[in-house]
Amino acid sequence: MTPSARELVWMYRTMVRSRCYEETLAGVYLEGKRPVFNMAAGPIPGEMHLSNGQEPCAVGVCAHLRADDAVTATHRPHHIAIAKGVDLNAMTAEILGRRAGLSGGRGGHMHLFDHRVNFSCSGIIGQGMGPAVGAALARRMRGEDAVAVSFIGEGAANQGAFHEALNLAAVWRAPVVFVIEDNAYGISVPKTDATAVPENHVRAAGYGMPGHRVTGNDPVAVYEIAGEAIARARAGAGPSLIEIETWRLEGHFIGDAEGYRPEGEVAALRARDPIPRLRETLLAKGVLTADEEEKLVAEERRTVEEAFAYARAAALPDPEEAFEHVFAEGVRA
Amino acid sequence: MSGTPLAVPHDQWQDDEECVVMWLYEDGDAVAEGTVVCELAVAKVDIELPSPAAGVLRILVPEETPVRKGDVIAVIEDGRTS
Amino acid sequence: MTVTTTMRKLTIAKAMAEAIAGEMRRDGSVLVLGEDIGRLGGVFGNTRGLLEEFGPERVRDTPISETAFMGAAVGLATSGMRPVVELMFVDFFGVCMDAIYNLAAKNCYFSGGASPVPMVLMTSVGGGYGDAGQHSQCLYGTFAHLPGMKVVVPSNAYDAKGLMVAAIRDENPVVFMFHKALQGMGWLGTVKRSITDVPEEPYTVPFGEAKTVRAGRDVTIVGLGASVHTALDAAETLAAEGVEAEVVDLRSLVPLDRAAVVESVRRTGRLVVVDDDYHSYGVSGEIIASVAEAGHGLLRAAPRRVAHPDVPVPFSPPMEHHLLPDAAKVAAAVRATLGEA
Repeated sequence: MTPSARELVWMYRTMVRSRCYEETLAGVYLEGKRPVFNMAAGPIPGEMHLSNGQEPCAVGVCAHLRADDAVTATHRPHHIAIAKGVDLNAMTAEILGRRAGLSGGRGGHMHLFDHRVNFSCSGIIGQGMGPAVGAALARRMRGEDAVAVSFIGEGAANQGAFHEALNLAAVWRAPVVFVIEDNAYGISVPKTDATAVPENHVRAAGYGMPGHRVTGNDPVAVYEIAGEAIARARAGAGPSLIEIETWRLEGHFIGDAEGYRPEGEVAALRARDPIPRLRETLLAKGVLTADEEEKLVAEERRTVEEAFAYARAAALPDPEEAFEHVFAEGVRA
Repeated sequence: MSGTPLAVPHDQWQDDEECVVMWLYEDGDAVAEGTVVCELAVAKVDIELPSPAAGVLRILVPEETPVRKGDVIAVIEDGRTS
Repeated sequence: MTVTTTMRKLTIAKAMAEAIAGEMRRDGSVLVLGEDIGRLGGVFGNTRGLLEEFGPERVRDTPISETAFMGAAVGLATSGMRPVVELMFVDFFGVCMDAIYNLAAKNCYFSGGASPVPMVLMTSVGGGYGDAGQHSQCLYGTFAHLPGMKVVVPSNAYDAKGLMVAAIRDENPVVFMFHKALQGMGWLGTVKRSITDVPEEPYTVPFGEAKTVRAGRDVTIVGLGASVHTALDAAETLAAEGVEAEVVDLRSLVPLDRAAVVESVRRTGRLVVVDDDYHSYGVSGEIIASVAEAGHGLLRAAPRRVAHPDVPVPFSPPMEHHLLPDAAKVAAAVRATLGEA
């Protein structure tokens, strides 16, 4: 299952948009946080977890997804949200805590919800997996061929929820695909120190489902494996596990000194940045001309700039709005 | 004023990095040699600075001020190094 | 002959690390486990230096497996070791609560005292810096409510070290809840008042003993952890208005020094409780109920609580800060108690 030229361009465009977004976001986040890095200061308080380098995981999977497919993601969600088609303006407004945000400013960057494209994320490791199993089951019970995808990090493969969710998905034959973004670090702890097996895809066998590992942080390779897994799920053949070797080019959170990473590691990974690599491939194959590529990048920069301009201009919530939506109103007729 | 200077150390930063100061003691406090008197927050890393001598701390640079390596940020008055 | 105590100012983070290091030197059965507590020295700085001094056998970076390592801590404790285990954010208790409240807290009871669980569960609490609803909770009430575990909450470095030493030496599970705003980590903001002189040698602060951190005659303000500082800030404002507030730092939720609070209210007749945790079914209600039970007529005005409303902690600062207790709200609550004759 190889991507068409159109899909290749979509993947490249989406990776460019995502990277541009994270780079812009980093700049906005650091406003007000110099010279003292005080997390509470500036237009975006709190923690910030960027996805630079992990874009292939998002685009290779989401290229196969529709709006009615459900996705659950983690504290590092932006690349996935963008690839899933979350409203960029509303997402940015949410990250900046504005009333026009996806949740009116209640959730922030780790708790993004866009029901129009069935995307949600939350901050407790591994806890998005159970909900993905339920979302998948619901779709099958209604006779739809929609699926659910749960994105997690490799650290989450050591959470109890991982093992329970995989088992339950298999027992229920739920149309869910579990995607591990293996960036080799759980904050400061390398995978080799935390995980009993060198590669997590082998754990799929323990739960009666196929498991695959994609190496090299290559969006096309992700596309191919994800396509098979999602098709399997749509056809009623049940869940799968995909493990993707990817890399985290920034710290775990902005402000992370990354003293635990060996000297030169990040530089070596930057030299293998998946975005310029895909660019070279597309130019070499004639999928894009140099002019078209330049135009595409300029368009994406503009889209990102517009989203941030929208968010900055948007009003902050009235403090009393904090009391709204604790409970839903009404009863089902 | 006389005394032992406390300077931003030379060996821990790139040339162009800023750092700021959090004082654990106040101007005029008596401090012992070796006691950590301030923390320099360099964007991502906290560096502890111990007092080079026993004496009275005279703070020259207030908190949240960017400083550079080599800057003298305090003086320990009546310092004795033994 | 007088013995000079070496005092240095420490942050709560450093005081905790020093307490643990001292106990690890003294007692080979003490070990530390948790996420990022080794190489990183703890996300909140409270285990810095331990891996370098004691090595990876006794300072263990764990996988992200709270259910397993919390359970392991119980097993270690019942097998003669004294684990100090970190739950990085108290909000993560959901994934491992069984090991805490059904095992650690109950094994001593179920075994008729034969199988005590000497472990310390240290965990970060609190918000106010935009970390939203799953990383900003206090949950004091949740842990204090369940029988079988002691719960302590330091407001300053001196108490932090003393409570930690006492916690490690205690034969029971102790939940040591440290507020992120008080750690002295520059990136979370600093509350200078929490940085105090701390003796170099080990010492303990007793459990079940509240401390009057400010004497006053007009009103009793009760706080714990960060809310002690909120109360003291409010007291300064009120003093300028001629109102002298007495501030009581609970320090310990289980056991709880109800007598200290009652004694204070007996003198002042007015009570305000400041609780960063959710309003209902928690510490503030417990304090007020304890005073009410102590006798009719102790209170000259209705008691007030300044607590976080029963709402998930919102992300956006105008909403988050609207809900958080602060000095202005505490001062207003005090004035309300004085408004009633």
